[in-house]
Amino acid sequence: MRMRFSEILIAFALSCLLLLGLEVITSSLLPALGWYEYRLTFNVLIILFLAIRLDSPMVPWMILGLQMVHSIFSIEGWALGTLAGLIVMFSANYLKELLQLTSAIMTMITVQLFQIIWFVTVTLIICLKISNFDKFGMILWSFIPGSILLSIISPLIFWVLEKIWKTPTDSGHRGVEI
Amino acid sequence: MKLIQESSKTKIVSNFVVGILAVYGISQKQFRLDEPSLFHKITAEIISPMQQGLTNSKESITSLWENYISIVNTSKENIVLKKEISRLESDLTFMEEMRKENLRLKQLLNYSDELPSERIMAQVVGWDSANEFKVIRLNKGTRHGIKAMSPVITDQGLVGYVYRATENYSDVLTILDQNNRVDIIVERTRTHGIVEGVFNFKCALKYIMRNEPVEVGDKLITAGVGGIYPKGIKVGMITDIARENFGMTLSIEVVPSVDFDKIEEVLVLIPNQQGLQRLLSPTAPVKESKI
Repeated sequence: MRMRFSEILIAFALSCLLLLGLEVITSSLLPALGWYEYRLTFNVLIILFLAIRLDSPMVPWMILGLQMVHSIFSIEGWALGTLAGLIVMFSANYLKELLQLTSAIMTMITVQLFQIIWFVTVTLIICLKISNFDKFGMILWSFIPGSILLSIISPLIFWVLEKIWKTPTDSGHRGVEI
Repeated sequence: MKLIQESSKTKIVSNFVVGILAVYGISQKQFRLDEPSLFHKITAEIISPMQQGLTNSKESITSLWENYISIVNTSKENIVLKKEISRLESDLTFMEEMRKENLRLKQLLNYSDELPSERIMAQVVGWDSANEFKVIRLNKGTRHGIKAMSPVITDQGLVGYVYRATENYSDVLTILDQNNRVDIIVERTRTHGIVEGVFNFKCALKYIMRNEPVEVGDKLITAGVGGIYPKGIKVGMITDIARENFGMTLSIEVVPSVDFDKIEEVLVLIPNQQGLQRLLSPTAPVKESKI
C-alpha cells in the first residue's frame, strides 16, 4: 500500500492529535479523578504501532515528532523515547516474520514484549544519566503495572490507528509499506 | 530493484540521523534543572490551559459520574427527582468545596507567614505523564515571579522545587522523584541525612549511620543547606528502619508529610534578599520582613 506524502502528513498529524488528547487525559484528568500512582504512557503505544505496523524511511522522524509532543507533558523530554523507539523499530524489523497481530490477545502480548524492550532501554539510560544502577529494578518495576494496563487497551488504540493510517486490519505481520 | 535500494539507503540515513539526534539530546538532558526550550515554552502555553480546564472540571466530572452515568437504568421519575437532588447536592458540594478551599488557603497562609520569602500561591494543573518522573505542573510561571529552583510547599510540608518555568506555567520536581535530594535533619536527634524519592509515593532516608538513635515515628525537617530549601520545613516521618547485618548506614523508609494524593494548591517561595542572606549565612540576624 502506497500513501501520498500529503496523506502521510495528515495521518501523522491525526496521530499527534490523538497522542495530545491521551496525554492530557493521563496527566490531568486521571490524576484529578484520583489516579496518581501509575501513568499510562500512550506515546509508547502509538510509537509501537508505527514501529511495528509501518515500513517507511519516515518512521524515525515520526517517532521523533511524537516524542516532541510527549515532551510537552513530561520532563523525560524527547530524546530518551526517540532512542528507545528506534531500538524497538530495529527489534521489530528483525522479528517481522514472527509478528502476527491477527488477534487482540496476540496484539496485547506483542505490545507487552516490546514495552519491556522500551522500558529496559529507558531505565538503562536513566540509570546511566543519574549514575546510579541501584535504582534499576525500582524504576523498571514502576513501569510494569501501567504497561500491563496499556497492553490490555492496545487492541483498541491499534484499531483507531489502523483507521487513521488505513492499514489493512488482516495484515498480520509487519511491513505495511507507506 | 534500484527503487528498493534507494528506499533502504534513505531508511539507513533516516535512522542514523535521528539516532544521532537522540543521543545528542540525551547527553544534553538534565533531570535536576532545565531551561525550557522555545518549543516547550510555546507548546506548554497552548496545552496547559487544557490541563487546567480538566483539573478545574474535576467536580463536574465526579458529579457527572456519580449522579448521571451510574443511574442510567432507573425509572424516568427517579431520574427527574435524582437530577433535582443532584443539582442541590452539586450546589452543596460546591459550597463545601469552597469552604474547604478557604480553610486550606488560610492554613497555607498562616504557615507561610513564618518563612522569610515572598510567596506565590499556585494551583496544581497536572502531573508528569511519564511513570518514572514525579513532577507536578502549576498554573503560575515567570510572569507571576516564579523562578527556577524556588522551593514549593503546602501547609503540610515540603513539595519540591521549581524545575523549569515558562511564562504562565511551571514544573515542580517533587520530593517523590528520584532526582530530587533533600538535606534533612531528624528533628529529635538532629542527625543529618538525605531524603530521596523512591517508588510507590514514598521516600528513602540515606546516609544515616547504624549507631544513630533514630526511631520509627521520628519527624524530618529541611536542614537549610544546599541553597534551595529554607531550614525547618516539614519533610516527612520515618515509617520503617531496616537494620541489616551489613553496611555502614541504615535503610530507612519515609512517608512524606505532604499528602500528594490530595495536593491541589501550593505555595512557591521566592527567596527575598533577607531570605537569601539567611540561606547563605544561617547565623546572620534577620530583620522582620513585610510580605
